[in-house]
Amino acid sequence: MPSNLRRLAAALAGAALGGLLSGAAAQADEKPRAITTVGMIADVAQNVAAECVASEALMGPGVDPHLYQASAGDVHAFDRADIILYSGYALEGQLGDVLERFARRKPTVAVSEQAIDPSELIGAPGGHGIDPHLWMDASLWARLAPTIAEAFLEVAPDCSAAMQANAAAYQAQLAALHDWVKTSIATIPERQRILVTAHDAFAYYGRAYGIEVTGIQGISTEAEASVADIRNVAQLVVDRKVPAIFVESTINPRTVQAIVDAARQKGQEVQIGGQLYSDAMGEPGTAGGTYLGMIFENTRTIVEALGGEPAPLPGALKPWADKWNVDVAQR
Amino acid sequence: MLAAALENIPLMIVATGALVGIAAALPGTFLVLRGSSLLSDAISHSIVLGIVLVWMMSGAQSGPLQLIGAAVTGLATVFLTELVAGTGRVKNDAAIGLVFPALFSIGVLLLNVYARDVHIDQHTVLLGEIGFVWLDTVALGAYEVPRSLLSMGAMCAINLVFVVLLFKELKLATFDRALAAALGFMPGLLFYALLALTSATAVAAFDAVGAVLFIAFVIVPPSAAYLLTDRLSLMLLLSAAIATLSSIAGYVVAVLFDVSIGGMMAVMTGLFLLLAFLFGPRYGIIAQALRRRRAATVTPA
Repeated sequence: MPSNLRRLAAALAGAALGGLLSGAAAQADEKPRAITTVGMIADVAQNVAAECVASEALMGPGVDPHLYQASAGDVHAFDRADIILYSGYALEGQLGDVLERFARRKPTVAVSEQAIDPSELIGAPGGHGIDPHLWMDASLWARLAPTIAEAFLEVAPDCSAAMQANAAAYQAQLAALHDWVKTSIATIPERQRILVTAHDAFAYYGRAYGIEVTGIQGISTEAEASVADIRNVAQLVVDRKVPAIFVESTINPRTVQAIVDAARQKGQEVQIGGQLYSDAMGEPGTAGGTYLGMIFENTRTIVEALGGEPAPLPGALKPWADKWNVDVAQR
Repeated sequence: MLAAALENIPLMIVATGALVGIAAALPGTFLVLRGSSLLSDAISHSIVLGIVLVWMMSGAQSGPLQLIGAAVTGLATVFLTELVAGTGRVKNDAAIGLVFPALFSIGVLLLNVYARDVHIDQHTVLLGEIGFVWLDTVALGAYEVPRSLLSMGAMCAINLVFVVLLFKELKLATFDRALAAALGFMPGLLFYALLALTSATAVAAFDAVGAVLFIAFVIVPPSAAYLLTDRLSLMLLLSAAIATLSSIAGYVVAVLFDVSIGGMMAVMTGLFLLLAFLFGPRYGIIAQALRRRRAATVTPA
C-alpha cells in the first residue's frame, strides 16, 4: 500500500510538472525537428532540408553564446528535438562537452568537428585552444551543408536525394559568396585593408579574404580590453590612417568608442564603420538574419567603410538577393 | 518507476534545484547569522583565478582537473577571508570584500596577459544551466542518472550530516563564540569546516545551476526563515522548505512565461522573502503594525 501511495504521488507530481511541458509535443505527423545551438548552423540546416526537417536555433539574434541562458521553452525544444546539431570545437563551452556525452541517447552531431579538418583551424599562438568562429570563412562553413544532409539521414531517410541536391546548390551559392567577398575586399586600398573590431572574431575572415584583422580584446568576451590594448590599437589606427573601425552586434560598443576617442586625440579622425555580425546573425525576417546575409552585410559594411567598392553580386546569389530585396548591382 | 522518474525532465530539474537549495540553505543559515553570506558571491568570482591557473599549468580548458582547481580556489577564498577577519582589524564583510576582488582581478589580469587568444572562462569549465542538467547523465547500473543530481545529492547529504552531528557546537559558536572557545569547541576550526563545505557546495552548484541561483539559495531562504522564527533548528528547516518551494514554483512560472528557469527560481526565493517580510508572525510588518496599534489602544496617553 505505501508503495502504491508513493507511486500515485510520484505520478501526480510528474503529471503536474510534465503536463505543462508536454502539451504541445503531442501534435503528430509533423516534420522531424532539429535543434541547433547557434543560428548559423540552423540556417544552413534550413537551406539543406527545409522541406524535410524543421530546424531551429537556441541562441537567437544578438545573443553572445557565452552569455546564453536557456529559457524553459529552450529546454522543451531540446527535449522534443529529434536531432541536435552543435558546432563543437569549444564554441559552446561546457554545453558542448555535455552534448558530446548526450550523443549516446539522442542523435547529436558536432557539425563543425565533422565537416572541418583540425588542420584548417586557427589556434591560439600558445597551442592551447581553438578559435571557434569558423563561420567567418564561407568556404569552410559551406562544408557543413553535406555534413548536415548526412546527419539528417537518421531522422529523414526518405529525403536523401533532395537534401543532397539542396546541399550542393547551397554550396554553390556559398562558393559564389566566397568569391564575391574576396573580390570586394580586394577593392579596398591596400594600406587601409585592416579590420579593427571589438573582439577577435574575424581571424578566419581575415585569412580567407586577405584582410588584416585586429581585435581590441581577446577571443573570450569575458576578458576586458586593457589600457595598453586601447593605446596599441589606437596607435595602429593612426599609423595606418584607418578610416573606420567596427562594433559588433553582440558586444558592448564602449571599447570601440574608446579607440575612436584615443585616435582623435592623436589627430586621426576615425569613423565607426558600422555594426558587424560576429557571434550571432541579425533578426529573422531580414537579410542579415540568414547566414548568407550575415557574411554579405558584414562585407558590404567593411568594404564601404574602408573605401572600397562592393563587387557586383554574382548570378548564383540572385535568388537570395531578390528574396530579401538586397540592392547591389547584379552581374 | 525510478527509471520513469529519471526520464522526467521537469522532475529532474526541480529535484536538482531543490537539492541545491537544501545543500545551500544548510550552511547558508549559519553564514547569514554570522554575517558572511556574501562568501558565496566571493567564491563565484575568485574561481576565475583557479581556472586560469589550472589552465596555465595543465592546458586543460575543462574537465575534472579544472573542477578541482575551482574547489581549491574556493577554499583559498574562505581561508584568506577568515585570516583577514581573524586579525580583528576589519569586519567580516570587509574581509570578504578585500579578498575576492584581489583574487578575481589577478585572474582577469592573467587572462589578459597569457590567455588573450584562448577561449577560457567559467563557461568552459562549468555548465551552470539548470535547464540542461538532464542532458548530462552517468550510467548507474541500469539507470541514467543526471550528474548534477548525484553531485548535489552527495553535497546535500554531507552538509546535512555535518549540521546534524555538530548542531550544538555550531549553534554555540555562531551565537557566543567566546563561550564556545572557552568550552573547548574550537569555533574557529568549526567555521573553517563549515566554510570548506560551503566552498565545495558552491563549485558543485555552479556547475549544476550557475552562480547567481546558488548565491540566491545561500542567502535568501535563510534570511526569509530568519524573519519567521528565532529557533535555529526551525530556521534550518524553514530555509530548506523555502528553497524547495522556490525551486518548484520557479520552474512552473518559468514554463508559464517561457523564461530562464534558474532565473525564475532565484526570483521565487525573493518572493518568499517578501512574503515573510510582510506576513511573518512576529517580525512581519503587518504583524508589527497590528501590535503597535494594539499597544496604542491598551495604553492611552
